[in-house]
Amino acid sequence: MKRRKFLILGSIFGLSPYVQAKEISTLEKKCKQVEPVIQAVQEHMFPEGSKLPSAKSMQVTAFLFATIAHKSFDKDIRAFVLEGAEELISREKGRFLTMSMVEKEKALRSYEKTNYGSSWLSRIMTLTMEGLFSDPVYGSNIQESGWKSVHAYGGFPRAKTKYLGT
Amino acid sequence: MYDVVIIGSGASGGAVAYTLCKAGYKVAVLEKGRLMKREEFSKDELAYCRRDLVTPSLFDEYHTIEEKVEGKWVATPTYESGWSFWNGNVVGGSSNFMSGMLHRLHPDDFRLKSKYGAIKGANVVDWPISYEELEPYYDLTEELVGVSGHFEKHKYEPPRSRAQFSQPPTKENAVVRLLDKSCQALGIKSLVTPRAVLSKNKPGRDACYYSNFCGSYGCSSGAKSSSREALLKPALATGNLTLLTNTHVKYLHSESKEKVKYAMVVDTLTGKEKRIEGKIFVVAAQAHETARLLLNSANKHHPNGLANSSGELGKNLLFSGGGSGQGELHKETLKEIKFEDLMTTGLFVNRSVLDWYFVDHWWDGTFKGGSVEFMFEHQNIISRARKNNYKEGKLLWGTELGERVVKRMTEQKSIRFEIFNDWLPNDDCFVALDPSHKDKYGMPVGKLRVEGHPQDVKVGKYIAKKCEAVLEEMGAKNIYSGISSAPAQNLVAGGCRFGHDPKTSVLNKYCQAHDVPNLFVADASFMPTGGSVAYTWTIYANAFRVADNIVKTLKMA
Repeated sequence: MKRRKFLILGSIFGLSPYVQAKEISTLEKKCKQVEPVIQAVQEHMFPEGSKLPSAKSMQVTAFLFATIAHKSFDKDIRAFVLEGAEELISREKGRFLTMSMVEKEKALRSYEKTNYGSSWLSRIMTLTMEGLFSDPVYGSNIQESGWKSVHAYGGFPRAKTKYLGT
Repeated sequence: MYDVVIIGSGASGGAVAYTLCKAGYKVAVLEKGRLMKREEFSKDELAYCRRDLVTPSLFDEYHTIEEKVEGKWVATPTYESGWSFWNGNVVGGSSNFMSGMLHRLHPDDFRLKSKYGAIKGANVVDWPISYEELEPYYDLTEELVGVSGHFEKHKYEPPRSRAQFSQPPTKENAVVRLLDKSCQALGIKSLVTPRAVLSKNKPGRDACYYSNFCGSYGCSSGAKSSSREALLKPALATGNLTLLTNTHVKYLHSESKEKVKYAMVVDTLTGKEKRIEGKIFVVAAQAHETARLLLNSANKHHPNGLANSSGELGKNLLFSGGGSGQGELHKETLKEIKFEDLMTTGLFVNRSVLDWYFVDHWWDGTFKGGSVEFMFEHQNIISRARKNNYKEGKLLWGTELGERVVKRMTEQKSIRFEIFNDWLPNDDCFVALDPSHKDKYGMPVGKLRVEGHPQDVKVGKYIAKKCEAVLEEMGAKNIYSGISSAPAQNLVAGGCRFGHDPKTSVLNKYCQAHDVPNLFVADASFMPTGGSVAYTWTIYANAFRVADNIVKTLKMA
């Protein structure tokens, strides 16, 4: 199925209000609303004690929001990321943040059983890994911890500035 | 007014600009992208491989791709699918970002129809020129642009006028010992891949520094033989080249049937339009965009598109048949070489196989085959970490994900093969103008129908089986291959085939439009059949040949 069609038809909210959001403040507001739940999902995916650096220590949430909030970022994917988080909040009746690790695992595996949830979790995974393994200039992969963990290093010359889009 | 106006600054545009500037003519190169200098090229995976630093945003400029779905043709805009057909829109074009595994065509690629006869459902024709006519220009490319390698005789290696490459091969990973030995055990001859990367310094360009991130990235030493490094820089040094960046050509204007008068361009930064006049126009925008530009240049003198009295414009678009496969070399089962040597980064695999370029076998039959390149899996870190992280259909996360990713990236390395076989020209692979979609400049976008011929897949699968046997002999695990008729969007040719007959071809043997004498097409559009290797060496060589003829034309005028 076409990506756009999937995103729209797959959404429980129908056509996203964020697609039409003209005011930057609206986007900022929505980002702030869902940030804690996205952060919690990232921390569940990349916990402390793993062979990979943890989401908490790598500031991957800031990376994710800097990426999706950029004006050139695909607005449908942006909406999908935000809506998917709202759906998770709604499915778990606002309790996701206060859940134990075991409960979170159950909630996320249950969400993954839906096509929409599976696609959203995959998107969060991708955006998180992009932070963990991109050049440290992007603010995540702090002190090259992501690269060190997998014994892989970016080539030279390194990026001097971030590129989030045109 | 310029002597020559060239649209596009990639391999072919660069070769034409270089030749004409050296011959003393005033040349303008119109490039819709910006100039990125050598110092600007970094190894930023996010920017180059996962965002659009060097290609247009698909929401601004895109194609529609027509595929058969349940028996009907369905066109999907690439901003919906994310399947970009842009290949590097900066000065030097996609030649900046190539992997540079180059081969010459074989003499029989110029006479495929004569050799194999007609193939049902395929529009195969012989070329109007022979290998012998192109050979001096292959040689020129090897020396001037820079191709490193080591020639060894092989029944399917084309003849060469120079005994050996001036540039020896780039340094190689120890895995070539295992690969060569495995091939030998199977009776297969592995050859050193000619590569458009310098192993030794050339004036103004430093040799490869083995960055580990070559294909998809620009080169920071000038070693990669891009049009920008090898041709446009020296062309600029003549003082005869005007390089107009951020300059997108909307259409070519002809005031009579026989002559293009100017290119209507738009400054991509200011949106201002202006006319660029020239005596001769050379289109070198990459095959699918070249056809689109000429179709968008229709007017009362050329109602079906510029230089399209044959109706062939945009037809018989080519990609490359084949596909790829890979296997994993594991630390615990690795043979012949040390694991540390295998994991040494930056060095090339540099091996290709031509044994199946033509197949004539008592059991398998007689048919045109293809070539194979061996290489490591691309070293991009994000993409390697992200792939195959599923278990029983579920996304892995948590400590189990950490175990999986770290093990995969530190205790094994994947070796790949890529197969190149002919993409047979056919009626369902072409460029037209989309009737409803327009780019941000208001011009109809190219609609690409991209159907392959069943024979292409058959050949690809035949070769893939042989390659899988090589990986197995190497001791690789989890071997798989994927052969399909999906086109590789970075290997595109055809759409303005050349030929002797103006009724069946767009260009004559010099790639001059049959209908419009001051119009030439220098990119891979001219190819009526594509051969079974990557196009770049042939693009460079043919563009030098075309340029020599333009010089003659200008001298006569």
